[in-house]
Amino acid sequence: MFEPPYTRTRAANERLRAHECDACGWVSFPEQPQFCKRCGVDASWSETRLQPRGTVRSYVVQQRLPEEFETPLPLAVMDMPQEESGEPARVYGLFTETDPADIEIGMEAEGVFRRVFDVAGLPIHSFKFTRPRGDRL
Amino acid sequence: MSSETDVAVVGAGMIDFGELFEQSIDDMLAAAFRDCLDDVDKGMSPADVDAAWFGTIDIADNASSGLGLSHPTGLFEMPVTRVENACATGSSAFRSAVESVRAGNTDVALVAGAEKMRDSAAGLIEGAALDQVWRGRGVTMPAFFGLRATRHMEEYGTTREQIAKISVKNHENGAKYPHAHYRFTCDVDDVVDSPQVTYPLNLYDCCPVTDGAAATLVVSEDVVDEFTDDPIWVAGSGLSVDSFERGNDESLVGFPATEQAAGQAYEQAGITADDIDVAEVHDCFTITELVTYEDLGFCEKGDGGAFIDSGEPLLDGETPVNPSGGLLAKGHPIGATGVAQVNEIYEQLRGKAGAVQADNDPEYGLQHNIGIGRNATGSVSCVNILSRQR
Repeated sequence: MFEPPYTRTRAANERLRAHECDACGWVSFPEQPQFCKRCGVDASWSETRLQPRGTVRSYVVQQRLPEEFETPLPLAVMDMPQEESGEPARVYGLFTETDPADIEIGMEAEGVFRRVFDVAGLPIHSFKFTRPRGDRL
Repeated sequence: MSSETDVAVVGAGMIDFGELFEQSIDDMLAAAFRDCLDDVDKGMSPADVDAAWFGTIDIADNASSGLGLSHPTGLFEMPVTRVENACATGSSAFRSAVESVRAGNTDVALVAGAEKMRDSAAGLIEGAALDQVWRGRGVTMPAFFGLRATRHMEEYGTTREQIAKISVKNHENGAKYPHAHYRFTCDVDDVVDSPQVTYPLNLYDCCPVTDGAAATLVVSEDVVDEFTDDPIWVAGSGLSVDSFERGNDESLVGFPATEQAAGQAYEQAGITADDIDVAEVHDCFTITELVTYEDLGFCEKGDGGAFIDSGEPLLDGETPVNPSGGLLAKGHPIGATGVAQVNEIYEQLRGKAGAVQADNDPEYGLQHNIGIGRNATGSVSCVNILSRQR
């Protein structure tokens, strides 16, 4: 792995910066696109920020992974709403500090800032998800 | 379409799939090519081949470019093109050859696919170590497909047992299929009690890691009589890509790319899903085959569980699916997978599929491959339809 891709996605990883297509309202995260993935237009884009929470649309619990990953590792497809109005972004969300049995489709999860992995000794920070505080089963 | 050349399949060859540490990719390709030449009814020699398409994702880093096919087969002084399209590589290579023949640019085209999965596939299989945005966080192949299983069960009430039945069916077929990697049978309890890989998928929901090679010969209507009196015709082909990031909820319970590719292929063939008599579809995981029934239009969206319950896709059912055992039993050497699927449909339509022959006298057969790529967010799907009638 090399450092540059993570320099380019730093604002997304660390500040949940996203981009909204001015033509169709689709939200891109973490990539900063030029052509819209949904409407295909060579669009103009408005910078936006996602809320540090989202809704689980589906999930799995991974049991077999390389050593550097904790297992069991729940992974979800999440819809993360924007801070202002508009559509949510559909993204992958890793879970942490959550009992896999407590995850269900439709639940809200809270984004927490974590060290995700290292690249050549350089720590890469981003969000993971947990069941929100005060919502323990 | 009248100005286009009709395209026929006249030969199919493959090696026994498996864990083949004793064979190089060159060994596998040469053997599959020889088996394919030998399969042509009236014979064919390497000198008859005008152009070749080579499907491989080159996972073991030893076969990039068309030269990876030329060296082991001796096919030089002609166009040889390597095709890579994720797990849809083999069927994309077939499609590319068909398009060239259909356009009148090639009379005799070889399609060959091969993959050395066992030499160094760990990076792809685990997916988690790759230096890309999402995969770097542990998104694996079982996760990508398993996400559809969790959602399908929630949204449509599909049961774990229905999903497991796909594995039972395909292992039942694979046990009878001479080239399959795994030739054992299992029941629903064996599947749900096998070790959990990624909830909700267990070990027997996952295809094995398999080496293999396969080859197919396609020719134009102008020369078909030189090679056989019993050709199988290419009726239609489709290819499409999509990504769940685009926000379509259908992509959480299936693969819109498959629906799009199938739509193209049905239109070109002038048929509907109801006309398909036998199919080889991409069952890298059990859930993949279940949602593919729906995406191909074999049943309504959400009815994949009921479709397997009905027995229709069983070998003695109305529309046998994966008579060869599919990827789950036969194996999934990526570049070879789609080519071997085409071969099986060719054998089925000729009535020469031996112990796994569909007994419904198949007229139309469909082959389907799906791959994932682009940080494990996108899918690429290829569908080819063969027909007994021109």
